[in-house]
Amino acid sequence: MNAASLTASLLLPLALLLALLPPATRRIALVLAPLAPLPALWTASLASADAVLDLPWLLLGSRLGLDDTGRLFLLFTALTWLAAGLYARAYLARDARRTAFWAFFLATQAGNLGVCLALDLASFYTLYALMTFAAYGLVVHTRSAEAWRAGRIYLVMAVLGELTLVAGLMMTAHAAGGLMIADLQAASPPPVAVALVAAGLGVKVGLPLLHLWLPLAHPVAPVPASAVLSGVMLKAGLLGWLRLLPLGHAVYPEIGATLLLLGLIAMFYGVAVGLAQRDLKVVLAYSSVSQMGFMTLGVGAGLSAPGLWPVLLPAVGLYALHHALAKSALFLGAGVALKVGGRAWVLAGLALPALALAGAPLTGGWLAKAALKGGLAGLPAPWGGLLGILLPLAAVGTTLLMTRLLWLVHRLPAKEPVASLALPWLAWTLLGLVLPWGYAQRVTFPEWAGLAAATWPVLLGLLFAWLAWRGRLQVPVIPPGDLVVPLEHLLKILKRRQRDILPIEQRLRS
Amino acid sequence: MTVNEVLPLAVIASSLLPGLIIFALPERRIGLRSALNLLGAVSKLVFVGLLLAGVAAGEEYGFRHTVLPGVELVFKADALALLFVTLSTVLWLFTTVYAIGYLEGSPHRSRFFGFFSLCVTATVGLAMAGNLFTFFVFYELLTLSTFPLVVHRGTPQAMRGGMVYLAYTLAGGALLLTGIVWLHGLMGQVDFVHGGSVAALGPQATAQLKVVFLLLIAGVGVKAAIVPLHGWLPQAMVAPAPVSALLHAVAVVKAGAFGIVRIVYEVYGVEYAQSLGLLLPLAIAAAITIVWGSVRALFQDDLKKRLAYSTVSQVSYIALGVALFGPVGTIGGLAHLVHQGIMKITLFFAAGNYAETLGVHKVSELDGAGRRMPLTSAAFSIAAFGMIGVAPTAGYVSKWYLGEGALAAGMDWVVAVLWTSSLLNAAYFLPILYRLWFRPRPAAWPHEHIPARGWRETGWLLLAPPLITAAAVLITGLFAETSWSPLAWAKLIAAREYLQ
Repeated sequence: MNAASLTASLLLPLALLLALLPPATRRIALVLAPLAPLPALWTASLASADAVLDLPWLLLGSRLGLDDTGRLFLLFTALTWLAAGLYARAYLARDARRTAFWAFFLATQAGNLGVCLALDLASFYTLYALMTFAAYGLVVHTRSAEAWRAGRIYLVMAVLGELTLVAGLMMTAHAAGGLMIADLQAASPPPVAVALVAAGLGVKVGLPLLHLWLPLAHPVAPVPASAVLSGVMLKAGLLGWLRLLPLGHAVYPEIGATLLLLGLIAMFYGVAVGLAQRDLKVVLAYSSVSQMGFMTLGVGAGLSAPGLWPVLLPAVGLYALHHALAKSALFLGAGVALKVGGRAWVLAGLALPALALAGAPLTGGWLAKAALKGGLAGLPAPWGGLLGILLPLAAVGTTLLMTRLLWLVHRLPAKEPVASLALPWLAWTLLGLVLPWGYAQRVTFPEWAGLAAATWPVLLGLLFAWLAWRGRLQVPVIPPGDLVVPLEHLLKILKRRQRDILPIEQRLRS
Repeated sequence: MTVNEVLPLAVIASSLLPGLIIFALPERRIGLRSALNLLGAVSKLVFVGLLLAGVAAGEEYGFRHTVLPGVELVFKADALALLFVTLSTVLWLFTTVYAIGYLEGSPHRSRFFGFFSLCVTATVGLAMAGNLFTFFVFYELLTLSTFPLVVHRGTPQAMRGGMVYLAYTLAGGALLLTGIVWLHGLMGQVDFVHGGSVAALGPQATAQLKVVFLLLIAGVGVKAAIVPLHGWLPQAMVAPAPVSALLHAVAVVKAGAFGIVRIVYEVYGVEYAQSLGLLLPLAIAAAITIVWGSVRALFQDDLKKRLAYSTVSQVSYIALGVALFGPVGTIGGLAHLVHQGIMKITLFFAAGNYAETLGVHKVSELDGAGRRMPLTSAAFSIAAFGMIGVAPTAGYVSKWYLGEGALAAGMDWVVAVLWTSSLLNAAYFLPILYRLWFRPRPAAWPHEHIPARGWRETGWLLLAPPLITAAAVLITGLFAETSWSPLAWAKLIAAREYLQ
């Protein structure tokens, strides 16, 4: 039963993808495609804890299975793909390239679900690569000029990330003497291997400087694809960190400190640049950069202080769950807002996950932030104290960014309501409020006295937002992708130089 | 003569005899010619199958014949020989089918298929060569039998490409011969034996042995297209597509790479070569070739030229694997001998299909070809991902083992070479895939020879070979750890090589 459910989780999306290709089976495949994550959902909820499927004849010797981390990631990954799929059925009902969209959607999904199940390096990397390359088709789906540009930058950075990851994995496997995730549990690979793995996956996570593709690619994809890109595919990078980095048994002070620093920068940088955006989906993409910074802090802390890892791991997991649910709800809601306009019920529906992201009391974000704070507080000076001050400030930033989002939605002109989009979105939003509570018993539950500590950043953020509005503060505009713009400019100059030099060279040769 | 002596000869004869008959056939006997070709290819496959089963079970196959006193013609069908023989035999079958389709209606087909058969005869001959002399004989036969194929079209461009090819390979042959004669003078006939034999000459000969190594490697390095001896390969892409497949995947460059394997493992012995300090320079030469070939490939708009430079780069993975001291690197290099073959032949088949069907020769003309020819383009895409090293294709298995082999040998810098090369591979293959699948198709193709009929985007004989080899690229990667994969065979060879 376990073996069957593990296999079906991976193969159903691929089987539906194959069924899409010949015209004879295309119609039925299109009807069934949104349901592709169901076996994975079944596996995540009902498969027994020791579910393992050894396939020594596959790749370099494969093992699929579920551990606690994998089960959690598989659960929210499958759920988000299901919600996005149901939403996509309505969203793309009249799209001319519907079949192509679903083909890439299913391929990406198979990879994304698969990485949650992979318990060896080769199959993890294979499925990760499938996810990465297939997602290109989602990014460029609209075929607009922005989509081509975003796709190009996405692909360049993704390839760099994959190759760096593989180089790191080679060294890790060499140090561990095996290809199973279990072999890595006791290994301490050289720092260069750890750094390569961290950086390679960091492209997907959106670490500062490696994030350049993210604010371009996430918004330009069709809304349901944005929801999975920002909601769960970033988490595949995070899951890679949890699986492949030597967390909990070896100390890497430099790499740990670097990740802590990058996490901090991401939290504030994402907010700062996000505030300077006009497009709803770009605001949300920058919010993802900022939020992934919180999870990066957890991983950086784990590499600096392995003793904290037993507390940090469930906290990072809960944070990933919470962010996946809230961010995908926000993206699906942004899609509704763009079709329906800034109606009151849209604003209300968006406000709930927005509050959760800001960590308002009793939301999933509140639980996750409290758990993460509890773990990070154990870090040695100066990090412990510093983070105690900076984390609430980051929550102020998130509140501001979410207010900016709602303000942008509010100004959208009202149009006709579309029930087929709104229903899956609202259902998803409500589920997102409840589900994190299911995992609350895994982490230190926030003290009720801490309610005030979670409340003031939100109130302060709202106050700043109100002041900015009263003062008619003009927000400067930063182009999406921020640093990629001067970088592209530089490349253009270099190309022009090359064009100038080439004829001279040819003349010299002849 | 026993069966164990006859079988290797049968493998050689199964392409030699049909080839000689085909030369004598009149041009219009298409049916008989094709039947002879396929009969030869299939019977060769059967003989090779028997050899494989025997060698896997520990049987030894060989044949000796004294030509002159002290000079023998020696064949031995050991595991290493069979790796190459099997690859050539299988791919020859597909290439023959493809060539029949490709050359339909063109002149001089008897000549073409005659030399085609000779070329494969030379390849299996040198693969099974048991000493340097025999290797040299077939190495030169290969040069002479491929030249008429390269210049087959007879255009001025083809003649120029052919002359460059001949100049390079004959010079390489001369270097090889010098090395062989020198070594012959030192120790008489040099047989290929596990662990090598030249170490017996003792320390006073090391200086000479180093020079001889350079001569031998440079001699075979010409065919293996090691920089700076690679200039002929991009020129030779003027040949028809099946010949390119032969040059790049089945025979010529492989013969060079295979020569490196034999010289390092069975003339010098990998441990002795390591102790003379010969492996590191070889690894560096391979690394330079890997990167330089890829850099040049980036700037080619001609599809076949881009693929040719890609071969320059990819074939040196084999030399690199040989130069990594230790079994893991050996496994990577030997497995890549097969993997590169099936990937590159797929790419050339597909390139030939674009040219034959649509008249498309340039990368910049490939826009939207994926919609017109989805099956060919799917095959091309799989092979291209293989070249980049994306799992689960054959290419990632090679790269993984090469990387692990480098780390095991303490040569961590090789990982950086693999990283750079893969990045460059992606940089020149992904834009092609982008054009194939994501760009709109043009109003008209440059020269559409074969109209699409339903899902049959081109002729049957052109379509089937790339589909089969592309499937093989996927299967060898997905099932790399099964006992019948090229990787498993490479492991068998490495185990026999390092357990001396």
